[in-house]
Amino acid sequence: MMTGPGISVDGLRYSYGDLEAVKGISFEVQPGEILGFLGPNGAGKSTTIKMLTGQAMPKSGVAKVLGIDVTSGNEDFQARIGVCFEEKNLYLNMSAKENLTFFASLFGISDLDTDAVLRRVGLAGRANDRVKTYSKGMRQRMMIARAFINSPDVLFLDEPTDGLDPVTAASIRTTIREEADRGAAVLLTTHDMFEADELSDRVAFINNGEIVAIDTPENLKLKYGTRAVKVRLRDGDGVREETLPLDDGSHAARLAELASSPDLLTMHTEEATLEQIFIQLTGRGLEG
Amino acid sequence: MRPAYIWKVLRKDLALGPRSPIFLWAIVLPFALTLVLQVAFGTLFDPEPRLGIVDEGDSEMTAKIEAIEGIKLAMLDDGDELRRQVESNDLDAGLIIPEGFDEELKAQRKPDLSFFVGGESYASNRLILTVIAMDMVREVQGGEPVVNVETVDLGKASLPMSMRMVPVIVFYALVIAGLFVPGASIVEEKEQGTLTAMLVTPVKVGDVLVAKWVLAVLFAALMAIVSLLLNGAMGPNWPEVIAVVLVASALSGMLGIVVGVVAKDSAILFGIVKGLGIFLFAPAIFYVFPEWPQWIAKLFPLYWIIEPIWQVSVMGESIATVWMELLIALGITVALAVAAALLTRRMQRQMAGQ
Repeated sequence: MMTGPGISVDGLRYSYGDLEAVKGISFEVQPGEILGFLGPNGAGKSTTIKMLTGQAMPKSGVAKVLGIDVTSGNEDFQARIGVCFEEKNLYLNMSAKENLTFFASLFGISDLDTDAVLRRVGLAGRANDRVKTYSKGMRQRMMIARAFINSPDVLFLDEPTDGLDPVTAASIRTTIREEADRGAAVLLTTHDMFEADELSDRVAFINNGEIVAIDTPENLKLKYGTRAVKVRLRDGDGVREETLPLDDGSHAARLAELASSPDLLTMHTEEATLEQIFIQLTGRGLEG
Repeated sequence: MRPAYIWKVLRKDLALGPRSPIFLWAIVLPFALTLVLQVAFGTLFDPEPRLGIVDEGDSEMTAKIEAIEGIKLAMLDDGDELRRQVESNDLDAGLIIPEGFDEELKAQRKPDLSFFVGGESYASNRLILTVIAMDMVREVQGGEPVVNVETVDLGKASLPMSMRMVPVIVFYALVIAGLFVPGASIVEEKEQGTLTAMLVTPVKVGDVLVAKWVLAVLFAALMAIVSLLLNGAMGPNWPEVIAVVLVASALSGMLGIVVGVVAKDSAILFGIVKGLGIFLFAPAIFYVFPEWPQWIAKLFPLYWIIEPIWQVSVMGESIATVWMELLIALGITVALAVAAALLTRRMQRQMAGQ
């Protein structure tokens, strides 16, 4: 059982040659918490995961996983983490069962119930099929299954639902939430604002290697977004729309007037999405 | 080095190996090369003359023929069976020596000798066996040859070409199984990202590379020994041949690890192997052309593994005669291991995208 934060990062930096990819970011992920790293491609999300999993050495700053400094040479933390990579790096000529059994053996697990693991990600019945026969979605589910085999204390999930159909994506999100509920600290990178909003306890907006905002999705919306009511009215033969901000209270009379208008067609409340807030803060979209 | 992790990776590679085309190619190659080279230069389709004998007494002729090298002799009890085997081309010729044949011959009584010759046998084999039979009769009779034959050897005495090709076949077995298999395996793991997947678990890059090297050594040694056996070149000192082959496999396996670590992808791997090809292959050519200055072969690293194999297997020498070559081969292996360790850091930086 973890006592301190699963992940603790302070002033972390990384460069690819002259290009500074991560510029002194700081954050923590507590046990049972899902931190969503939200940002466009090239923002520094995957590079941060590479440093935290021991694949890349930070240029400066402190990065601790399970209290162990990842730059110290002590790689004991790797026995207690699970990683789902963006690239689907499975042994294609091995079956799902062989893949899981092999990686489990590296964690010292000799009695893995592969059927149960595969059932959890909806791959029951395909255990003995070679992974090269799997569809993209099935391979992604295998990636998730592999990340969970050692019941990790810290989970790094790099775009775990990228390219999946909505049903499979929803199923994987449920599984990720179950891992957090078990007590795992989860760092989830995504450029899917819906996923970040639905799954994350907190969200960090990362852009050009910097964290520009970090908070709960609700607080971010309250802090940076504007609440409004969108009203659609009949206008002769056409339809016109009117948006009334709710935050300053100055439109209350107009709102009451429209609500009682015989021309009223529909009335919807609106709140800012994480993507809108991201654009507001960075001047760029998440797909960039 | 952590044996438990090395064994886990090795076991995985053993399971994956037979599913890899390169692995299968390494297994097939010695057989294919032996077949091709034996057809071109060897004796695969030029078998020794096959003679069957039914000796109804205890003729000296039988013992004399048995002592002749280069004849495949079959002893039978039944004349009808002998005739059937000659007719069906299981034997090139058959000889029935009746009881008391030697005594009759020595008494100058011209006994009957049945000599069957197969119609489908090679003319050369028929001729050889007929001449031998007549010569043996004369020897048992105790008569002097009617002419003195002066035999003149033309050309330098040397090993047959089929034997001189053995280093070429062994070289390929060592290079494909020892160098190409581990090199390609490392590159494939890099390209598919499975190496990265392993390295975020408790396994370390050193464990992975040592596992691949161990597999390469065992596989290359096995294929080299199979090549020697296929070509009848194992020699009498087989424990010493195995020892020498293991040293050779250690070197070629380490070369494979270095190549695999250096090559970023398959295209670069193939480029390196093609570029190194002649450099690696050169010493084997010197065995095919013994008239070339042999000192040049020593300039190439694989000479130091081909030469001990040649001496201990084909030439039947003791391992003690090649200790210097083996020492140099082990020195090259250690140097390559140091290079692999240094290059591994560069590889990990490449994998991290630096």
